[in-house]
Amino acid sequence: MSVELADLHCETCDRVTEHELHYSGRLLESVRCTVCGTHLDVPARDMLPSYLADLEQRVVSKPARMVRRAGRDPVGFARGLPRAIARQPAKFLEELRSIFRH
Amino acid sequence: MLAAGEGRRTGHHTNKVLLPLAGRRVFTWSIRWARMLPEVCRTVLVIREQDRELVTRTLDREVGPPEVEVIAGGESRHGSEWEALQLLAPAIEAGEIDVVVIHDAARPLAGSEMWAEVIDAAARWGGAIPADDHAQLAALDGGDPPVQRVVAVQTPQAFAARPLLDAYRRAHVDGFVGTDTASCIERYADESVRCVPGDAGNIKITFPDDLFIAERLLAKARWDLSGGREPHRARRSPR
Repeated sequence: MSVELADLHCETCDRVTEHELHYSGRLLESVRCTVCGTHLDVPARDMLPSYLADLEQRVVSKPARMVRRAGRDPVGFARGLPRAIARQPAKFLEELRSIFRH
Repeated sequence: MLAAGEGRRTGHHTNKVLLPLAGRRVFTWSIRWARMLPEVCRTVLVIREQDRELVTRTLDREVGPPEVEVIAGGESRHGSEWEALQLLAPAIEAGEIDVVVIHDAARPLAGSEMWAEVIDAAARWGGAIPADDHAQLAALDGGDPPVQRVVAVQTPQAFAARPLLDAYRRAHVDGFVGTDTASCIERYADESVRCVPGDAGNIKITFPDDLFIAERLLAKARWDLSGGREPHRARRSPR
């Protein structure tokens, strides 16, 4: 799970405030206003189908993204590839864990 | 492409246009849909100086050639537009740019079709803005509604390049700061600004909910708002 901080308009505070955003993979899982605590999240029942649809798109678009990266920086791409492949199982496991914990 | 925000932010939080959204940062979705059009020859991204490093890294990763020109914005939206127009001025004066499109990078769901429509209308009429019909206003005393039609104006907004540049030069001399591009055009140019149909899905990321909605709308469109167009990767911008 990754976390981002961003200023968004909070309807409860009625002003722009700092928000904490939690992502599972590429999907936004929840947002919390750090001033008033207002919390928004995706219903648990919706998260898994959304994740699976997104995962399908990630897999389908992966070859094109890899080709683009390789074209931009062939040496860096080749050097980073073994580590990137080795990281995938743990990454997906963590994403799934986050979805089911949600 | 305006990505400098409205100057209300403090600290080092992520600018909302730099937030992740379905596998990309918010602002690169707009660049993607705009650059599907062969008419789009240059892309200028107006940013906060403090965002430059992340913006540069993101462009490198998510946006292919031709190069996006990145400049720091002004104190206001008007100031940011003025900065971008000054960069484009030599090309506009040389007749290399006919139409300038101004877009809020916090609207990642303005699809290629909408970009094509405003460019076409601006080339024909001088100016074009997408407007989406909203419910009428109600009078508090139960009388007639104060206006017959209420629309929400969106971006991308397109204008004939030369009159737009002239209008902003005159505004600069007068010290006029418009609330949006059309207000400056209305004050300093004779061009007519036409409305083209907006899209309820062309939301501006403002509230937290908007990020969830944008994610859903992108998924519903299978992450493709190109209208079946292919990217024009080989094109080079005239300088």
